[in-house]
Amino acid sequence: MKYNDVTILTANTRDIIINKNELAARLKVSRNFENDLVTLCTDRLMDVITYKCAYIKTSIDLSQINQCDFGFMDVVSRNLYQNLLGCHQAFVMAVTTGIGVDRLLAKLNVTSQAEHFITDAVSSAAVESFCDYASNILQTEYNCRPRFSPGYGDVSLKTQKPLLDRLNASELLGITLNHSYLMTPVKSITAIMGVQS
Amino acid sequence: MKKITDLIKEKRVYFDGGTGTILQEMGLPAGQPPELWNITCPEKIINLHRSYLNAGCNIIKTNTFGINADKFSNYEELIRAGIDCAKKAVDNQYEKYVAFDMGPTGKLLEPLGELKFEDAVDLFAKNVRAAADCGADLVLIETMNDSYETKAAVLAVKENCNLPVFVTNVYDASGKLMTGADPAAMIAMLEGLGVDALGMNCSLGPDIMLGIIGEFQKYSSTPVIVNPNAGLPEVIDGKTVYNIGSEDFSDYMIQLAQNGASILGGCCGTTPEFIQKTIKKTQDLPYVLPSEKDLTMVSSYTHSVIVENDPILIGERINPTGKPKLKEALKTNNLNYVLNEAIKQSEAGVHILDVNVGLPEINETEMMIKCISAIQAVSDLPLQIDTTNFETLEKAMRMYNGKPLVNSVNGTEDSMNHVLPIVQRYGGSLIALTIDEKGIPDNAKDRAKIAAKIMKRAADFGIRKKEIIVDPLALTISSNPESAIVTLESVKLIRQMGLKTSLGISNISFGLPQREIVTSTFYANALQSGLNCAIMNPFSAAMMNTYYAYRALNMLDNGCVDYINYASNDKNNHHTPSAEKPSEGSQNLHTGIVKGLKESAVACTKALLKTTEPLDVINNHIIPALNEIGTAFEQKKAYLPQLLMSAEAASASFEEVKKKISVEQSDKSKSIVLATVKGDIHDIGKNIVKVLMESYGFTVYDLGRDVSPEKIAECAVSNHCNLVGLSALMTTTVPSMAETIELLNKTDKNIKVLVGGAVLNQEYADMIGADFYGADAMDSVRYAESFYQNQ
Repeated sequence: MKYNDVTILTANTRDIIINKNELAARLKVSRNFENDLVTLCTDRLMDVITYKCAYIKTSIDLSQINQCDFGFMDVVSRNLYQNLLGCHQAFVMAVTTGIGVDRLLAKLNVTSQAEHFITDAVSSAAVESFCDYASNILQTEYNCRPRFSPGYGDVSLKTQKPLLDRLNASELLGITLNHSYLMTPVKSITAIMGVQS
Repeated sequence: MKKITDLIKEKRVYFDGGTGTILQEMGLPAGQPPELWNITCPEKIINLHRSYLNAGCNIIKTNTFGINADKFSNYEELIRAGIDCAKKAVDNQYEKYVAFDMGPTGKLLEPLGELKFEDAVDLFAKNVRAAADCGADLVLIETMNDSYETKAAVLAVKENCNLPVFVTNVYDASGKLMTGADPAAMIAMLEGLGVDALGMNCSLGPDIMLGIIGEFQKYSSTPVIVNPNAGLPEVIDGKTVYNIGSEDFSDYMIQLAQNGASILGGCCGTTPEFIQKTIKKTQDLPYVLPSEKDLTMVSSYTHSVIVENDPILIGERINPTGKPKLKEALKTNNLNYVLNEAIKQSEAGVHILDVNVGLPEINETEMMIKCISAIQAVSDLPLQIDTTNFETLEKAMRMYNGKPLVNSVNGTEDSMNHVLPIVQRYGGSLIALTIDEKGIPDNAKDRAKIAAKIMKRAADFGIRKKEIIVDPLALTISSNPESAIVTLESVKLIRQMGLKTSLGISNISFGLPQREIVTSTFYANALQSGLNCAIMNPFSAAMMNTYYAYRALNMLDNGCVDYINYASNDKNNHHTPSAEKPSEGSQNLHTGIVKGLKESAVACTKALLKTTEPLDVINNHIIPALNEIGTAFEQKKAYLPQLLMSAEAASASFEEVKKKISVEQSDKSKSIVLATVKGDIHDIGKNIVKVLMESYGFTVYDLGRDVSPEKIAECAVSNHCNLVGLSALMTTTVPSMAETIELLNKTDKNIKVLVGGAVLNQEYADMIGADFYGADAMDSVRYAESFYQNQ
């Protein structure tokens, strides 16, 4: 089924400023760490990244305790329920940096483990930064709860499946799931963000 | 009734439009698959079809887009009901057809995804078999955003029914599929597979497709389908609105029709009104079928390579003949070596990679498939499948993602009878060798005759002349003095016949000293004689010099831009890099490793080796430098990226040293088996340990990820290796680690096991009976070093 109410949001690669703290944490270095190879890996990565986000705004029904009914999926979770309590709507979103990053990582896995490690870290920080950017845009008109992703707390990773299906993510973003509910492209994030009434 | 394939030759035909929006308006709840309505409310589906037929369209798409055996256990029933609805709506009306609609599986294929190619073919085949006898007039494969999945679907149709097959892909605004293919790449592959019509649908409005249609007009000899969305969706007050109305849509469709679109229709957001207006405005426009394009095209999953005036370089390095290192790599299943050769050649500027893995000791078919899959994960160049084994060729052409170049067919009955049907089935361009039962003719005329014979026979199989690239065979001048002259004459003669040519260029100098001099001069002569493709060594500066100079001299390199780039690149001229000054070798090697400067470390090692014994370079220079950075890391004065860079610089340096060490001197005694345990696919930690171990001179048997206990034990035993390193990143795979340790203990109690990975700690390690817990990579190396010192 192709749902037609999904909105796509994109950004130019260079417009997304990678969060420095996030990057340092992923590289396992201090915040002021600088290195030519990191710069080189970042530049090369920027050539293959395509940021894309798909989202919907949907009603949620929290009338049953610890049960979050999104209409298209029912998530049984205490943590998500707590997070959404008081909201009647939520943004459901998925973001990705595109399959080009997976191809680059596969190649670097052969040619250089140092570059592979660095590029993996930078792309993780990049997808987080883009997800922040997209959430900020969604929040300009609404007061939103902190982002919540499948896999956090007691929300099963299996939630990825109905969520991505609803967003038509395979077609619109190229995001697919494997048998363990992990996403390809690897640098992708799914999230739910409650809209405060 | 006329077949749809005949009708599209005579006049413009029309597809219906979107269904999702209309079904939702009819009351389909969000989240419910519309295909269920085929059974629960067929009258609504029939009405939807009728509204499009009344609007004037010729082909309606069955409501089966999302059905496959993985998603619906009753897929056969749903498919039959869907076709039944469409048949009832069509009701044998004149020039109205039912297209059985197949959408994507929603899964990504290997190597980046986990769906196996043959499993994808099977999944589609189940659909096709369910649909085959229900009376559809054609199969439409639509909304495909991956070339590989598209190929799987087309093969499934071709192998399970006799219906015509139409294919439309989803292009984005940059004119590419989500996984990277451009229209030319898709056209090359789909025409090779013999589809009846091809084109684009969904994703974009007709305005943006207008920017892409030119590519189809340029490359496609097959009728082109254009089924756009009604522009881009916007959600306004909770309702989806598309930004192009039926009037504008149909105006754009006029332009699309005038620019080569043969079959028109709509996708998301379009309604019968859109289709009706489109038909009204375009039905009287002159209908011109696409011309037959005389283009020799091969493709990968991203782009095509067209063999015409601009010379094509085919990298010859993945071929074990005369390459002992590659032979060894293939025998030991060392794919990394093969992949490195692939990456290095593509960086050197070749257009196509030859892949030949024929060795008597190995299973060629298995290895070919493994290599193609792995190479296609790291390089986007089209491949040349090089084999004399027909079974290997068949399997490789089938699973190749794109349209390959096949090396080769020759003029013998045996070769033509086997190779041509395979190429007919899967599509490919073909290297044709001018040799037959009587051998290689000694003159150009007879070589051309063999080429003509192959061309004629290929035509019997529907393989067009443009697909044939003749290799008139270069033999070494050291034993055949007239060889170069005859070959060059053959190239000229065959080009005059309107065929393309290729040569395995390096053969010409076999047996001579300083072969590059002869080979590159011969290459220049051959280019001048009209040679199109050369199977060659891209690491030969002389060859690359000739290539770039020839293009600049023959107006193939506008403004000499490529030549200037090539000639001003340091790697391509003969200046000595500053780091190679011998006097500074020692100091700089230490700095090079500590700072992680790979190129500098290599240059310094080379310099140092002129004055220092190889083992001294290791023990007095490489190891101390590594220890310095290792200690800095342990004291948190250096970070993991730096440690890795240093390890790589040390490994590169170590490789240089190894070249000087005779076999007896090589330290085979220090070895370790490394693996990520069964069920776990994370290998970054294991790979870090591997790099570090190698830089310390260990022989590493890397078994990869998701490895069974049996395989690990077998490797340790067969290599007499008493040290095994296991990695796990997921808590769920720790039991699998315990199982592995248990088996290793049973197998040989002398085997020591060190474990590491994000989920482990000392306590866990003790619990599962590991001999050592490595908190990080450096820790593991120190343990391994001490293990061998205590032996």
